[in-house]
Amino acid sequence: MPVARNHFASPLQIMALTSALFMLAPLAYVTASALSADTAVWHRLWTTRIPELLTNTILLAGSVAVLTLCLGVSTAWIVTRFDFWGRRVWEVALVLPLAMPTYVLAYVYNYLLGFGGPIEQLWQAVAGSDSHLVSPQSFWGATLVMTLDTFPFVYLLTRSALLNMNVSFEEVARTCGVSSRQALFRVTIPLLRPSIAAGIALVILYVISDFGAVSLLRYQTLTYAVFQQMTGRSDNTAASILSLLLVILALAFLLTERWFRHRSRFYQTTGRYRAPERIACTWRGALVLISYLATVVGASFALPVSMLVLWSLSPEALATLDSRFWGFIWNSAFLSGLAATIGVLMGLPLAYLASRRPSWFSLGCLQAAYAGYVLPGPVAALAVLALFLHTMPFLYGTVIVLVAAYVLHFLPAGLQSLEPSLQQITPNLEEVARTLGLSMRETWRRVTLPLMRNGFIAAWVLMFLQAIKELPATLLLRPVGFDTLAIRVWLEASEEYFRLAAPSALLIVVVGLPALTLLLSRDWRVG
Amino acid sequence: MWYDSWYSAVWRRLRSHRVAWCPLVLGWLVGIASWPLPAGAEQLTIYSGRAERLIKPVLDAFTQQSGIHIALLSSGTTELINRLKAEGDRSPADILITNDAGSLELARAAGLLRPVNIEEVTHVIPSQFRAPDNSWIGLSGRFWIIVYNTTVVQPGQVTSLFDLADPRWKGKIAIPNAGSEYLQAGVSVLRAGVGDERTKQFLIGLRDNAGTQVYQKSSQIVEAVAKGQVAIGIVNHYYVYRHLAAQPSAPLAIVMPDQHEGGLGAIMNVAGVAVLKHTPHFDQAVQLIKFLVGETGQKMFADLDKEYPLNPNVKADSALVDRRSFRPAAIPLTKLAELREPTLQLIEQVGLR
Repeated sequence: MPVARNHFASPLQIMALTSALFMLAPLAYVTASALSADTAVWHRLWTTRIPELLTNTILLAGSVAVLTLCLGVSTAWIVTRFDFWGRRVWEVALVLPLAMPTYVLAYVYNYLLGFGGPIEQLWQAVAGSDSHLVSPQSFWGATLVMTLDTFPFVYLLTRSALLNMNVSFEEVARTCGVSSRQALFRVTIPLLRPSIAAGIALVILYVISDFGAVSLLRYQTLTYAVFQQMTGRSDNTAASILSLLLVILALAFLLTERWFRHRSRFYQTTGRYRAPERIACTWRGALVLISYLATVVGASFALPVSMLVLWSLSPEALATLDSRFWGFIWNSAFLSGLAATIGVLMGLPLAYLASRRPSWFSLGCLQAAYAGYVLPGPVAALAVLALFLHTMPFLYGTVIVLVAAYVLHFLPAGLQSLEPSLQQITPNLEEVARTLGLSMRETWRRVTLPLMRNGFIAAWVLMFLQAIKELPATLLLRPVGFDTLAIRVWLEASEEYFRLAAPSALLIVVVGLPALTLLLSRDWRVG
Repeated sequence: MWYDSWYSAVWRRLRSHRVAWCPLVLGWLVGIASWPLPAGAEQLTIYSGRAERLIKPVLDAFTQQSGIHIALLSSGTTELINRLKAEGDRSPADILITNDAGSLELARAAGLLRPVNIEEVTHVIPSQFRAPDNSWIGLSGRFWIIVYNTTVVQPGQVTSLFDLADPRWKGKIAIPNAGSEYLQAGVSVLRAGVGDERTKQFLIGLRDNAGTQVYQKSSQIVEAVAKGQVAIGIVNHYYVYRHLAAQPSAPLAIVMPDQHEGGLGAIMNVAGVAVLKHTPHFDQAVQLIKFLVGETGQKMFADLDKEYPLNPNVKADSALVDRRSFRPAAIPLTKLAELREPTLQLIEQVGLR
C-alpha cells in the first residue's frame, strides 16, 4: 500500500514543487536585481523619491484603514443587530462596491468632484462662486475612492463574526453589572478584533498594490512609481528597487496581521450557542439607519453606476459599440478564462497535498504560492518579464507571459477557495471508496472531485473576475492587438473621455456582480 | 442558502450540456494555437508611441487606400523601445511610430532600424528632420509651448519658459510627468542651450511651482488650464489647437517661448516613423511611409492633429501660428539621443515626479 501511495504522490509532488518554484522565482528575481543594483542608484532614490513615496503610500493605507474600519464595522453592526425594513436587501447591497474596480470609481469621482464638476457647481451655488472643493486628484480623493471601494472587506468579515458570535458572552458581562456600552467595548469589540484585523489587512494590501485609482488621481504611491519607472526608463534597476520596498511593505503588513491574529484566539467553549436577537427599530430609528446605509451604498455603488449607465447611453459611447468593442470583450474573456483555468490546475496539487499529506514540503509549497499576495500588478509584470526574458525569450510578447503574470498575482485568491473546500472533505470518504475497491484514479474522479467542485468553481470565478479587472500588468505585457476592457477604460478615462470609457466600465461591473454571491456565501470566520 | 443552490443548478446545467462544452473548449484551444498568427502578406504590425486617436485615423485612411491591414499596439514610446530591444529578432513589429525624435535615434543606435533610402522621402522631408542614414523619418513637427488661461494671465506676462520658475506662479502651473518623452526632450534642449546649472535651477523652480499638478497626458494639462484649475501649462502646441477646434470659446492662448533677441528659441521635436530591421514586410512598410510623407498623410497630420507638416508642399492649419513667424531652438534633433541619459539623471536629481 505505501508503495502505491508514493507512486501516486510523486507526480503530484513534482507538480506542486513546479508551481511553487514558478511562484517564488519572480520574488527572488526582484530581490536579487534590487540588491545587486549600484549603490549610487539606491542613494539617488533614497535622497529623491523614496521618502515621498513611502510616506504617501503609508499615509494612504493608514487613512483608508481607519475609514474602512468605521464604515465596515458600523454597517456590519447595523445589519446584524437591528431589524428594520429591507434589512436583507441592504445586507447584500453593501457588498456591491466590490464589483467596482478602483479605476472605475476613480474616474467617476474625478468627474463628479473635479474642478467645475457637478458637485462643485452645487457647492458654488451654496457657498459662492469663488469657493472650490478640494481636488479629487489628491490624497483626499484617493482616500475617498479607496475607502468606498474596499470597506466591504471589513464589512463582510465583521458581519460574519457578528453572526457567529455567541451572545452569552455579552449576557454574562451584563449580568456581572456592566452597562451595555461597556459590554460593547469590553466584550464584543475585543471578540471581533481578529476579524476586523483580517479585514483591515485585506484593505491595506489592496490599497498598497492598487494602480488604477492612484494613476487616475495622480497620487504618487510606490506601485504607481514602479509603473512609471518601467515605462519611462530604459533600464529597470530603479523599478526593482522600488518593487522590493513595496514587497517588504506588503510583507510587513501581512506578518503583523498574522501575528496579531495568532495572539488573540477565541474559542467557543460549550456547545450552547445562541445568536443575539435583533433590536426592532421604531420607524424614526429605521429611517436614520436606512438613510445612513443608503448614503454609503449610494456613494460607493448606485451613484457611480448611474453615471456609467448615463454615459453609456450617450451617442458618442453608443458609437463605440462596434466590432472592435466585441473584440475587447473576447480578449478580456479569453485572457481571464485562460488565467483562471491554469490557476485552478496549478492550485489543485498544492491545496490537495497540503490538506492530505501535510508535511514541511507540501506546506512550504503552499506558503510559497501565496507569494503573489505581496507582488502588486506592476511588480508581478516586471518579474514575469525578466523571468521569461532570461529563460524562455521566445515567449516574450505572447499571451502566455501575460497569463503567467495573472496566475502569479491571483493564485492566492484561488487557493483561498480551494484549500477550505478540500479540508472540509474528510479523508474517510476517500478511504471508504478505496476499501470498496475503487482505484486511486476512480476515487479521485468519483469521490474527491465531485465533493470539491463548489470550491473549484468558486476559485475559478474569483480568479477570472480579478483577472478581468487587472490593469497594470495588462498594460505592460499585452501582446499586439490584445487590448482588454480594462485597458480601454483606463486609456479613455486617463484622457478624460468619460463617456467613451463608460460602456467597457459598465460591462466589467455587470460581469462582476453575480460572483459577489460567492463572497456572501463564503464562511469568513477567522481562526 | 439560496446562492448554494444557484451554484448547484449552474453546475448541473453545465454537466447536462457536455456536448455544448466541446466546441467552446475546442474554440479556445484553436484560439491559443493560432496565436500569434503568422501575419499574412497584407498586414503590418505597428508599435505606436503616439496617442491612439492622433494616429489611428491616418492609418485607417492608409488601409482604405491600399488594402493593407494594420495591427496597432499603442503604448508609451520608451516602453515600446524597451519591448523592441527585448523582443529582438522575434519582434512581430514591422514599424515603429513615436512622438519623439530622440527615442527614434536611440532605437537607431540600438541597431533596431533599417534605413529607407527612397526618393519619395528624401525629396519631401528636409534633411534636418531625418536620421543621417534615413533610419528614421520625421513626419510632423511640434513645439513645446506655454499655454495660459486668458482670464487669469495677461498677454506678455510670460514670454520665456524660464519665467515659469518664478515663485509668483506657485501652485498655478501644470507640467507633464518625468516619464514623458516631450519633457525629457525639452530638458535636453535646455541643457544644450543654456547649460546644466541654469537648467537645474529652472527645473527646481518649476517643480516647486507645479507641486502636485503633474500630469500623465498633455490633453489633461490643456483641460486643466481651460477650466482655470491652473493658470499656465507646458504642452505640445497641437493639444491646445485640438482643444480649441472642439471648443472654440475656451479661454486659451499660447506663447511661443524664448523668441526674444538672444533667446533659446522654441523647443521643437518631431513625431516620426521607422522600419524595423527584421521586418519581412519591408515593401508594405515603405508603402506606408510613402503614404505618410505624401500629401494625403501630411494633410491629415495638419488638419486633424494640428501639427506642422514637414512636407513643405502641405500647409499647416490656418489657426496655428505661422511657422515662418518664429524661431526654433538651434539644437539638431539627432543630438536628443546622446543628451537623454544625463537629462534623465538631472530630472531624477531634481526630483521631478
